[in-house]
Amino acid sequence: MVNTSVPMSLQERLGTLQRQYAQHLPERLSEIEGTWHAVLATPWNATLCARLQRHMHGLAGSGASFGFTTLSTTARTLELFLGAVIDQATPPTIEQRTQIDALMAAVRQAAAQPDSATQGRAHPLVRPRPLNDQNQRVFVLDPERQTVDDIAEQITYYGYTVHTFHDPAELRHAMEQTAPAAVLLEHSAAHHHGTNVSMLVEELHAASIPLIFLSARSDFAARLAAVRAGGLAYFAKPVSVGSLIDTLDTLTVQRMPEPFRVLVIDDEPTLTEYYVTVLQQAGMTTEVVTDPLHAFGQLEAFHPDLILMDMYMPGCTGLELAAVIRQQVAYVSVPIVFLSAETNPDRQWAAMHLGGDDFLTKPIQPAHLVSAVTSRVQRARTLRALMTRDSLTGLLNHTSTRERLGVEAARARREGVSLVFAMIDIDHFKSVNDTYGHPAGDRVIKSLARLLQQRLRKLDVIGRYGGEEFAVVLQNIDVHDGQRLLDEIRDRFAHIRHAIGTNEVYVTFSCGLASFPTYADATMLTQAADQALYQAKRGGRNQVRVAHS
Amino acid sequence: MTSAQLQRIMIIEDEPDIQMVAQLALEAVGGFHVTISGSGSEALATAPAFAPDLILLDVMMPDMDGPSTLAALRQTPPTAHIPVIFMTAKVQPHEVQQYKALGAWDVIPKPFDPMSLSSTVQAIWDQQHG
Repeated sequence: MVNTSVPMSLQERLGTLQRQYAQHLPERLSEIEGTWHAVLATPWNATLCARLQRHMHGLAGSGASFGFTTLSTTARTLELFLGAVIDQATPPTIEQRTQIDALMAAVRQAAAQPDSATQGRAHPLVRPRPLNDQNQRVFVLDPERQTVDDIAEQITYYGYTVHTFHDPAELRHAMEQTAPAAVLLEHSAAHHHGTNVSMLVEELHAASIPLIFLSARSDFAARLAAVRAGGLAYFAKPVSVGSLIDTLDTLTVQRMPEPFRVLVIDDEPTLTEYYVTVLQQAGMTTEVVTDPLHAFGQLEAFHPDLILMDMYMPGCTGLELAAVIRQQVAYVSVPIVFLSAETNPDRQWAAMHLGGDDFLTKPIQPAHLVSAVTSRVQRARTLRALMTRDSLTGLLNHTSTRERLGVEAARARREGVSLVFAMIDIDHFKSVNDTYGHPAGDRVIKSLARLLQQRLRKLDVIGRYGGEEFAVVLQNIDVHDGQRLLDEIRDRFAHIRHAIGTNEVYVTFSCGLASFPTYADATMLTQAADQALYQAKRGGRNQVRVAHS
Repeated sequence: MTSAQLQRIMIIEDEPDIQMVAQLALEAVGGFHVTISGSGSEALATAPAFAPDLILLDVMMPDMDGPSTLAALRQTPPTAHIPVIFMTAKVQPHEVQQYKALGAWDVIPKPFDPMSLSSTVQAIWDQQHG
């Protein structure tokens, strides 16, 4: 009950324990390796293998408590793998042995790498941003004063609150009160306040706050320096406000990315379990197919982001299965990564030719597997976004919007709920383009896109339907609420002052709205909304009209 | 106001590393009075005299594992009603249910963070007394 230690000595005592643990690690590891060699040397000895598993269990359960987080996860993976090998009650196959060797190497490596000081820091100096925070604050650090004032003003116009600081210490102080959504750093700041800026950069990194550099230089060396300093984006002056806003929007929108979905097709249960463990530890969702002939059903049900496939399986080889998958248009863009002990480049080429995207040679280190899968999935998701989204606004494109309307209308019918489809068209848009130029028109379009995203719910579908035409699908909402909501958005939009060059311009839109179940399917909803939009235009524009059957 | 306050904790754990870091974490951070047992059989001998409010019990130990130790504690009147929390590196949801079915209050996953072990233990205690 008596607490004799003060907080400082606690940290010291913890440090001492960590050092002791680290000191004993080499000894433990050589004992483990001795056991592994004994396992390999003797015919097959389940008891020895179980001892090895027990060693791994110990490392897994202790590592992170002593500052060796990676050691814990790696040892845990090997523990599970050994458990599966013991359960099969036969000696490990050559493939399994090489995999155990690879994991032993990974454990050795992890034992030499304690968590870095920043990772282990108990209390980050800046509180991380809470999820669902509507905060759109942007902090600007501009030691030379006024060089970015103009930019700051324009950002404000797009709905961000901007605070400008001239001294990094002030900015860091403000950050302790409220964390910004992003920080813009005038690059020359690094010369004025070197140490303070690097501390700031470290704190931003720890709190996952995006950092954007603005600089007078556009050469590669300057950009490289910014990347090394942790910058997520770099803008050379004169800064294009449009692309800066795009970047801010992308970086500050709070998105919990959906976990990656990986379909593992391999006939060997032990290795499959290993891949699944590693991928799940990295936060991914997995589904397993052990019989390639059943792969198709899983493809449809699971919709994977990526397929991880063994080359050699009974019934049909990985190559054949890949070729069959590639012949289906729906799965053309799903990356396929082959796993094989194959090192012959000719055979690897053949695999690529038949539709494989990558080739991982067994045995596979956990870190390699995760990074190969991660980069492939990210690229595939980016490509898919290019196919389904409008490049200017990031909203769904015409085709995807129509598809979603079809899906949502069918769902509304199935679940017996209401739905509103609205078409929105910017009034006299041609004259904005003709008078102020297309870049000005694009900015008006983007500001309406932003407004719709801000005012509508996450589950609502927002699409750019055509040039100056938008379409929205509002779910589980009746016609009156839908009309009220869209009229409120119409009113707000009409009050936005678009600063175009030295001019201040006001723009309005007209809206036509149709609802399910009054209109029974996607085609009727579209026709009715289009008719109502026409009525709104005829009635003098800047208004919302509802279609009545 | 809860009737009982958590003061005395017994750790039953065979690994010296974990013994030390758990003791430090519970004494220095939580201010609890802690004693260590290196095995299930040792704990059966010393627990009645120490009379802990709570026992932290490692699942995987040589000779007498966690579940057998728990069963033995339950059969001895002085220790039959002392609450037990398992500590283990194997925590699948169904396993947690299994351990609770054996009569454990809860399961703390290993490796634990030494800085937050005390508050985890206290939270489980409060939940049971709340």
